[in-house]
Amino acid sequence: MSARTLRITLIVLTVVGIGLAAYLTYIHYANVKPLCGRGGGTCLKVQTSEYSKLAGVPVALMGLIGYVLILGTLLAPDEERWRFATVALTLGGFGFSAYLTYREVFSLEAICEYCVGSAVLMTILLCLSLWRFLRGGEPARQAAEPDPAAAERPAAAASA
Amino acid sequence: MTAANEEDLTRKQRREQAREERKAAEEAAAASDARQRRRTQLGGVAVIVIAAIVVILIATGGGGKSATKTVSKAETPKIAQEVSKELAGIPQSGRTIGNPNAPVTIQYFGDLECPICKDFSDKTGALPALIAGPVKEGKVKIEYLSLQTATREPEVFTTQQKAAYAAGLQKKAWEYIELFYNEQGAEDSGYVTEGYLQGLAQQVPGLNLAKWQADRNNPKFEAEIAADQQSANNNGLSGTPSFLIGKTGGALKKYEYSSLTDPKNFEEAIEAAAKG
Repeated sequence: MSARTLRITLIVLTVVGIGLAAYLTYIHYANVKPLCGRGGGTCLKVQTSEYSKLAGVPVALMGLIGYVLILGTLLAPDEERWRFATVALTLGGFGFSAYLTYREVFSLEAICEYCVGSAVLMTILLCLSLWRFLRGGEPARQAAEPDPAAAERPAAAASA
Repeated sequence: MTAANEEDLTRKQRREQAREERKAAEEAAAASDARQRRRTQLGGVAVIVIAAIVVILIATGGGGKSATKTVSKAETPKIAQEVSKELAGIPQSGRTIGNPNAPVTIQYFGDLECPICKDFSDKTGALPALIAGPVKEGKVKIEYLSLQTATREPEVFTTQQKAAYAAGLQKKAWEYIELFYNEQGAEDSGYVTEGYLQGLAQQVPGLNLAKWQADRNNPKFEAEIAADQQSANNNGLSGTPSFLIGKTGGALKKYEYSSLTDPKNFEEAIEAAAKG
């Protein structure tokens, strides 16, 4: 997969994540019943639980901010520092999603389909951004560097 | 080509080959360094993330099941006393609390199992302050309507809402509603049983239990609950609690509250509705 395709894939997945998190944030503030399976009962349970907020901030809003930040790093120039920022944010997002999934399964015993969707999305984003970061920049970038051998060639020809 | 030229070419080729090898070795070393650096950076971030998650876990009450705040039997007399005190001296009619001639009407759409409605009814919520303030002062009356959201089973929803409506025939609907919210169990735990509904009725002071039991079967309540749901649909209300507010006898408008714990936003809406 080319660096460009990988970046576009990451952007598309992040935009989907923004949609999910924005919907959950809307549900939280509008106090409306979420549109999900089994009448929205378990979704509502998760959304209104004591774990739906952290230090008074809705976790859905935190997710939305996280996805927007990830998108920001993906739209930034394709440089090592921005690739690192993407992977750092997705690693944080993955860890937080793991915590929330743990709370859903073991503390609340209720599953919110949107939260699970976001967790899966964040896992894919982490895998792809890890791959992108570890493989480094495009080889074309290195080819653009000056070739010392080529620079010495005229001098060698002159001495011959 | 002379021998000197050939020798010079060979030397040049050897030099270029050595340079290529050196370059390749340098590139390999640089790539190895970069990989090592990236791994170190990732390790650092992973450690920070793990530490943050551990802190969050500890701060949010460690592992295991959520501590559900269930009301113990010992607490119920105190709650019943507080509810009685809250509603004392305020006129009620059916599902409406407040002066029947109040200039402003609020329609409150709720589901008795809705935990967000409980926040509104809690002593830290906006409702007790509204009842103690504008309702008691005769500025507004509040009508309770049913909208199923948190209750999973429609049959359970209808049964519990009818229980409150039946208490309304004895002008005690709000005692029943407020007791239900204040003693609410953990969501989806199946706490709403016949015993629970009767237990609440027994806590309502002055409620004729035999009449209440008979009134629960009144078929008009099912029609009223269906009409409530239809009204919610017509007004675009899908969550609970939801509110309609306006001048009594006039058209009521959807009210988008900013807080369920601060009564100020409701008081401002009541004043605005009174002015028309």
